[in-house]
Amino acid sequence: MKLLTLILATFRELFSKATLYVLLGISTLILVGTLVSLSSDKTDDGVVLKLFGNQVSPPTPIEELAALVYGMQTGLAKGLFVGIMLFGVFATAGIIPDSLEKGTVDLYLSKPLARWELLLGKYLGSVAVMFAVILYFIGGIWLGFGVRIGVWNVQFLLSAFTMSFMFACIFSLVLFLGVVFRNAAIPIIGCFIYLMFVDNLLENRETILYLLSDNKIYRGILDGLYYIFPQVSGMQKSLESQIMHKTMEWKPFVQALISSAVIFTGAAFIMRRKDF
Amino acid sequence: MHAISSESLTKVYSDFVNKKLSVTALSDFTINVKQGQIFALLGPNGAGKTTFIKILLGLVNASSGRASILGTQLPNVKVRKRIGYLPENHRYPHYLTGKQVMSLFGGLSGMKSADVKARTASLLKLLGIEQWSKMKVRKYSKGMMQRLGLAQALINNPDVIFLDEPTDGVDPVGRKEIREILKQLKAEGKTIFLNSHLLSEVELVSDRVAILDKGKLLKVGTVDELTTTESNYEIGIANSLTESFHHEAAATVLKFRVDKSIISAELKDTSELNHLIDMLRKHQVEITHITKKRSSLEDSFINLIKREVA
Repeated sequence: MKLLTLILATFRELFSKATLYVLLGISTLILVGTLVSLSSDKTDDGVVLKLFGNQVSPPTPIEELAALVYGMQTGLAKGLFVGIMLFGVFATAGIIPDSLEKGTVDLYLSKPLARWELLLGKYLGSVAVMFAVILYFIGGIWLGFGVRIGVWNVQFLLSAFTMSFMFACIFSLVLFLGVVFRNAAIPIIGCFIYLMFVDNLLENRETILYLLSDNKIYRGILDGLYYIFPQVSGMQKSLESQIMHKTMEWKPFVQALISSAVIFTGAAFIMRRKDF
Repeated sequence: MHAISSESLTKVYSDFVNKKLSVTALSDFTINVKQGQIFALLGPNGAGKTTFIKILLGLVNASSGRASILGTQLPNVKVRKRIGYLPENHRYPHYLTGKQVMSLFGGLSGMKSADVKARTASLLKLLGIEQWSKMKVRKYSKGMMQRLGLAQALINNPDVIFLDEPTDGVDPVGRKEIREILKQLKAEGKTIFLNSHLLSEVELVSDRVAILDKGKLLKVGTVDELTTTESNYEIGIANSLTESFHHEAAATVLKFRVDKSIISAELKDTSELNHLIDMLRKHQVEITHITKKRSSLEDSFINLIKREVA
């Protein structure tokens, strides 16, 4: 009950912020754009996909159309993934620092609510809101492709769950930095740096960072960091496999789940020791 | 069983870089508050009053010592079901209405939705803000916020209520209403722990008062005990004093001054008082009343703090 109250309160809090409406607005624009611009024509040689009335694919046989659409959806998901994640982080980064502000945290923690419960409630609330946004966006695009082209790729719709899981992993970092620094700017900057550079560098550490030194400790630290942080790039590759109906690699998800749980526990531990 | 109890409670805010900057907010603080009392904790800014409340509520971790609420050793999350708290400078989510604030904190107290609804309606009515219950709290005045804060603190029908500056920003009529509510809560057997700078307010409602300075307990007692000045008496007389009385008095060690029909005497003990009364009677002076002089709580507080500083 208490957790549910916190989740609902977080819903209200996020929906009171303009950032979320901007994200929903951009999503709606892309959805409407997809619905309006996308169309298909049947020709003797197969189906032709059109964007704003212009042909964007060669005539494709009906049996190969699905694969073509899967490819388009994968490209779309890949292109929009970072945008959704970064905007999501931007919209939700203030949730934890705002809750820990003097005058607010006193009210929360004077109730029969453990500190970790407060964090968990805020965490689940933020992830739930982002799930709703992602589902709206992905669901809309899925509907657009289904209605306009006739390809109903369920795996693409299910990728909303995968993306939400990935956001949940990233949000554990936001939460950790929010607890430590009690402001929204550092989690945003930290996550931007992580998503844009660190994650890719760690994923490709063997081909890039290993070249800087063959020192075992140095390489050990890199490997350690790779396993400590959620492997977003690895999950992204699996996301693409999912949409393309290929076999998904589950290892990055398991690693990210463990990593996020450890990061969340770390945040709860620090929170427990803090004086408010 | 005490409602609130602390034993050698100490809190040091450590500065790990520069040890000199470490602050002892509370030092060896021992206090007991009986159930059903209105207890006030007074002290200048930085005395450690809020730190004490925050330790009890689990917002601050004590460095050493022990504390309990309603017999439950702290820190303990479950006991907070029986606690209400109105913090100083509270900040409610500005996007919520008064009703939603009550619903949020009622839910966090573990109450059922129906109970929250019923209690919200009665509390908002009691605090006189029911007509603004659907208005966003960002539009509330300071006084309205304070009333909402008090309503929020009472949502779970707590047994122990901590109020940090409850009448801050409230107009005199509102203050009187809040005083009445506190008295009513006391009559219901609730324990109220008050932090306030408005000493005149404290004087009107508190059963017991503790004075704290620089983290140390200076004095604790009833308002009467803290405000009674042991050696000062006021003696009312019906007729004026004669020359012979003044002559005789000058030969004694008694210290007093006369202002029309009132003698203000500073006496060491009751034998000196009796001596003065005997002299007055001997000189046919009619005594209308004798009162032990009392200073205001504010005067007592200031004198105590000044003495401590000296």
